[in-house]
Amino acid sequence: MTASLPSTTPVEKSVSTIRTVPRFSVGQRWEHSIVLISIVLLLLTGLPQKYRATTWSQQILTTPDRLYAIQNIHRIAAVVLTLLVLYHLGHTLYLLSKRHLSGNMLPSLQDIRDAFQMGRYLLFLTNRKPKFGKYNFEQKFTYWFLFFSIGIMVVSGFILWFPIAITRILPGEIIPSAKLAHSTEAIVTLVFIVIWHFYHVHLERLNLSIFTGWLNEKDARTYHPLEFERLTGEPSEPRQTGDDH
Amino acid sequence: MAKHKARYTLLLLIVAGLLVFAAGLKESTPARAQETSQYCLGCHGKPETSMTLPGGETLSLYISPEMLQNSVHAQAGIECSACHTDIKSYPHPENKYATKRELSRAYYMACRSCHSVNYEKTLDSMHAKAAEQGNLNAPICTDCHGAHDVQKPDEPRARVSTTCGRCHTQIYSQYKDSVHGGALIKEDNPDVPVCTDCHGVHNIHDPRTEQFRIEEPDLCAGCHANAELMSKYNLPSNVYDLYKLSWHGVDVSVYKARWPTIWHDSAVCSDCHGVHNIRKTSDPASSVSSQNLLGTCQKCHPSAGPNWVGAWTGHHEVSLSRTPFLFYTQAFYTSFTPFVLWLSILYVVLQIVRSVVDRVRGSLSK
Repeated sequence: MTASLPSTTPVEKSVSTIRTVPRFSVGQRWEHSIVLISIVLLLLTGLPQKYRATTWSQQILTTPDRLYAIQNIHRIAAVVLTLLVLYHLGHTLYLLSKRHLSGNMLPSLQDIRDAFQMGRYLLFLTNRKPKFGKYNFEQKFTYWFLFFSIGIMVVSGFILWFPIAITRILPGEIIPSAKLAHSTEAIVTLVFIVIWHFYHVHLERLNLSIFTGWLNEKDARTYHPLEFERLTGEPSEPRQTGDDH
Repeated sequence: MAKHKARYTLLLLIVAGLLVFAAGLKESTPARAQETSQYCLGCHGKPETSMTLPGGETLSLYISPEMLQNSVHAQAGIECSACHTDIKSYPHPENKYATKRELSRAYYMACRSCHSVNYEKTLDSMHAKAAEQGNLNAPICTDCHGAHDVQKPDEPRARVSTTCGRCHTQIYSQYKDSVHGGALIKEDNPDVPVCTDCHGVHNIHDPRTEQFRIEEPDLCAGCHANAELMSKYNLPSNVYDLYKLSWHGVDVSVYKARWPTIWHDSAVCSDCHGVHNIRKTSDPASSVSSQNLLGTCQKCHPSAGPNWVGAWTGHHEVSLSRTPFLFYTQAFYTSFTPFVLWLSILYVVLQIVRSVVDRVRGSLSK
């Protein structure tokens, strides 16, 4: 809406104007940065603990004091991430109560249709990519995958942090289960981020909108045509005016 | 009557003489070697032979001929002078020792001349250290093996443990009631450990050190990871492998690899099962029986509650019947999660293929 620039008088050819559309709020960008930093810290301090029996880990953890040090860093980062999760859930509930929650991150039937269409496209059965809105099904999948991953990591992490208190209420086998879940889910999350998320935001195209807050016009037209049309009121594919989208 | 008796005695003497002659023919070497023994026993074979040492103790000089004859040395033909090298004839050189102990500690050096390897080992032992610190009662060869009555030290096997138990009385009384000691003493079991199997023989080290503690799981595993041996007693042989995967076991393996000289508090076998008083896990008196397990955990985890013992899976495979929640957690991570990850990977690979094909097509059509 606010992004559309009024057509100005022709300027010098060396100056090009890049139109942008808004994508993420300042709060969302902060949330992403905090998640990013805390997850990197948690992985850096968690993996040497998981692989304590290996030589590379033992070369980092050369003394018991170093182990205690990285355990403390791990716990501090864990508290930060937990507070962020609580903020995120609280903020969502607040928006929900004010009826301001857009709901565009919720999975929908359209996502299944889009995924099906995308599958056909990837198998060369069609040359038409589905037209996505603000969040495509890939991005929703990223969000919900990490939502549950972080949920599992936070819950199992606190069980491991306070095992004696936890077993006052819950059965003892919750401890080895939490250990297994925490240890495995960490790797699952790491693999998922590296394969899925890094491909989509670094290789497919360099998408820095989560840091800048803006998406340029070209990417908006190509990857989020429906959102572009909604925001600007212009067709996403200017030449094909007869398109029914 | 008297005449008859005299004839009878004569006959006996002849028979005895023949027997001795025959024995002499058969084993001529030991018999000759023991000629000097016979000479010595001329005096030392009399029970009343004794002397008073300068310290005031009375030293019996009596050597029972039967006892001497039964010793492994006598049977191998080793004579008195092999050990008593300073005594060549009578009268003997004058005694230089004030007490019996002083005399023993001087004379046992004779063992060294034949058993030098074992002697060298003893110098590295806890017992030698105790002696260096001034404890003259610390054992020397003869305290364990005997002097004139040396026998094979491990026949029967229980002899080893009773020998140690002469000084280590309290430990021996715990051991003889344990699963190992009981089987040894009551059944002469050939597989259970005697003291020396765990502590070593001549170079017995202090078992309270960091090094002994860090090696301990491997020590127990020497038998308890031996499938053939354990199957004989219907015991699982995977306890050590499962322990190594457990929280305690991983901790111990790291200390062993990196910090073997730093004391660690992660539980090793004996912390839970006991040391000399180990019992069958099915025995209600065992420190890991269902009645006692929580108390055993609380030695290290003092505020743990009753549910805590359920957290212990260190010797058990994950099973649906014993730990269902853990079983389902494992199932989740071995089926659902890999499925989702592989699907994601497949999707990204297809995306890469399609985008590469599109780019190549695009550049060709230009």
